[in-house]
Amino acid sequence: MGSLIRRILYNGRNIHDTGDEYRAKIGYLPQDVSFYNDFTGRDYLEYSAALKGMEKSYAKKRIEELAYRVGLQEDLKRHCSAYSGGMQRRLGIAQALLDNPEILILDEPTSGLDPFERIKFRNIISAYSKDRLVLLSTHIVSDVEQIAAQIMMMEYGVIHHMHRSEEYIKMMAGKVWLVEMSAEELVEYQKQAVISNVAAKDGFMVVRVISESRPGDNAVQAVPSLEDAYLYIFHFLPERAGR
Amino acid sequence: MSLFHFEVRKLLLNKKTVSLLVCLFILYSLMGFVTSMFLIGSSRSYRVYEELAAGYEGPLDVGKAAWAKNVYEELSARYGTDSRMIARSIKDQPETMLALKYNEFTERVDEYWNGTPSESAEEPYGIALFESKLSELETQGKQNTAAYTELSDSLKRLTALGEPEFANILLWENLFVNWGEHMMQFLLFIPLAFIIAPVFAVERSTGMDHLILSSRSGRRKIVTAKLFSILAASVTVTLIYAAATFIFGFLPHASLHGWNAAIQSVPAYARSMFGFQTWQLAVVGAVWLVFTGAVYSLIIGFVSSRMKSQMGTVGVSLAVLFINVGLAAMGDAVTQRFQPLIDFGLANVTLIKEVFGGFKMFHVFGMCVSYPVMAVFVLGLIAVLAVFGIYRGQKNRTVA
Repeated sequence: MGSLIRRILYNGRNIHDTGDEYRAKIGYLPQDVSFYNDFTGRDYLEYSAALKGMEKSYAKKRIEELAYRVGLQEDLKRHCSAYSGGMQRRLGIAQALLDNPEILILDEPTSGLDPFERIKFRNIISAYSKDRLVLLSTHIVSDVEQIAAQIMMMEYGVIHHMHRSEEYIKMMAGKVWLVEMSAEELVEYQKQAVISNVAAKDGFMVVRVISESRPGDNAVQAVPSLEDAYLYIFHFLPERAGR
Repeated sequence: MSLFHFEVRKLLLNKKTVSLLVCLFILYSLMGFVTSMFLIGSSRSYRVYEELAAGYEGPLDVGKAAWAKNVYEELSARYGTDSRMIARSIKDQPETMLALKYNEFTERVDEYWNGTPSESAEEPYGIALFESKLSELETQGKQNTAAYTELSDSLKRLTALGEPEFANILLWENLFVNWGEHMMQFLLFIPLAFIIAPVFAVERSTGMDHLILSSRSGRRKIVTAKLFSILAASVTVTLIYAAATFIFGFLPHASLHGWNAAIQSVPAYARSMFGFQTWQLAVVGAVWLVFTGAVYSLIIGFVSSRMKSQMGTVGVSLAVLFINVGLAAMGDAVTQRFQPLIDFGLANVTLIKEVFGGFKMFHVFGMCVSYPVMAVFVLGLIAVLAVFGIYRGQKNRTVA
C-alpha cells in the first residue's frame, strides 16, 4: 500500500494542477444529503447553482427542466425539510445534474429508500448514464446489477475486480448451490459455509451456498447472481479467506 | 441570487435569527430605558436636575465645591462611600444628585492638578506627578529615555486639555456605561457568538460541506461570501445594540444635554488624553463597537471553520473572549507575565472605556504608540490571521 501512487487524473492531468476546473465537470451526490430548514426545494437548487458558478438564467431553466425530470416540479415551493426521503434523494440528484456534469458521482444513493422510490431513482440514473460517466457506490447489489456497464468491487479503497455484470455471473458458474437441510443442521452448517440466502420450505431450510465443489449429495446447482459473486469475492477467494 | 445573499439568508435573514434579533432589540431597548430611568428617577426629576446643573456648569467654583462636599459627607455617613450605592439611594432628589456629581468633579480637578499618589498602584496621572517624575529623570540624566518622552508627551497633552469643567452629562455617562463596560460583552458579544457559530460548523456537522467542497465555488468564493455574511451579521447586531441603547437611553428624558461637553467631564473618561466631545466619543464608540464586533465575529468564523459542533464553537469563542479576564484575576505575577495578553485580550480591548478612557502608551521600535492605535493594529492582525486561516483551511479540506 505504501508504494501506491495516489493520484487522480482528469484527461491525463493531475486534478491538483487543474485548479477548480475539474470540479465543474463533476456532479456529486453524497450519502447523507442535508438541507437548510428555511430553504425550499427551489432555494436549494438555486443555491447549488450559485455554488457551481452557473449563470442565473441558465440555472433557472435547468432547475425547471430537472425538477420535471425528477418529478418534483410541483414541490419546489415546499420546504426541503417537508420532503420524504425519496424526494430528498431526487432533489439531490437534480442538484448533482444541474450543471450537466460529465462525471456523476453518487454515494449510496438509494440507502433508506423504499422499493418504489429505489426503482424510480434507478431509472433516473439510468436515463442519464447514456452520455456521461456515472460512478455509483453502493452496498445494495441489485442497484447496479441492472444498470451498470462496469462494476468495480472495492475494499478499503483497493479495487479487487472490475468486470461487466455478465462476467461476474459467468465467474460464478458451477459455484452456487441449493441444499435442503433441517434448522438444527443449519446451525452447525453455517459456521463453515458461505451462505447467500436461507428460505424455509415445507419444514426444511433451502440454503443457497457458495462453494467451489458440490457441498453435499442433495445439493443442486442454482443460477448465479451478482450478489453471489460479491460474496464469493469477499468471503471465498483464497486471499480473502482469512476474513 | 448570489452566494453572498444565500449566506446572509442562512446566517441572518431566516425565521430563527430574525426572531432572535427582535428579542435582542427588545432587550437592548429595555436596558437603555431602565438604566436611563435608574439614573435619577422620574423624567421630572431629570428636568429639575438639568435646570439646577445649568447654574453649575463651567470651571470649578470653590463655594459650590464646599457645599457639595458637605452634602457628600452627610450622604456617605448615611449610605457609605460607594458612589453607586449613594446614587441608588437618592432617587428623585435632583439637588442631592447634583451635589454628589459636583463633589466627584472637584475630586477630578484635584487629581488633574495634584495627580495620583506616587505610591498608588494606578497608572501615574496629574500635572504635579508628571512634573515631579520628569525632574526626577532629569536629575538622573535620563532625558533620552522612552519613559521621559512618554511622561513629557503626557504632560503636554494634559496641559493642552486643560482643567476639567463641570457639565451635565448624566445621560451620556449612561450611554458610555452601556457601550463600554462588561455588560455590553454579555449582551452583545455572547449573542454574536450564537448567531455566527453555525457559519461553517452547521455544514460540517450535517455533511452539506461535502457538496460545497466538491463544487466549483466551494473553496474560495464560498469563503468570501461567508466572510461578508459574517461581517453583515456582526454589523447588524452591533448597530441594533448601539441604536437601541442610544435611543432608549435618551428618549425617557427627551434630552441630549451635554452633547458638546469634553469627555473629561464623564467620570470614567476623566483621564482620557483625547480631546473629544461627548458626541464625538459616541461616534468613536459606535465605530469601535462595530470594529471590535467584526473582529470577534471573524474569530468566531475561524473557530466555526475548525469545528463540527455549533455549541463547541460558541464555547471556544466565549473562552477566547474572556480568557484575559481570567488571566487578569490571577494576581500580579501572572498579570505582569501576560500583560500584552491582558491589554489586547478581547475582554479589554473591546471596551471603549479601556481604550479611550486612559492614556496608556506602548513602546514599539523606539516609538510611543497610543493604546487605540496599537489595538487597531493588533485586532487588524488577528482579523487577517483569522481570514487567512479560514481560506487555508477550506482549501486543504478533503471530501470524505
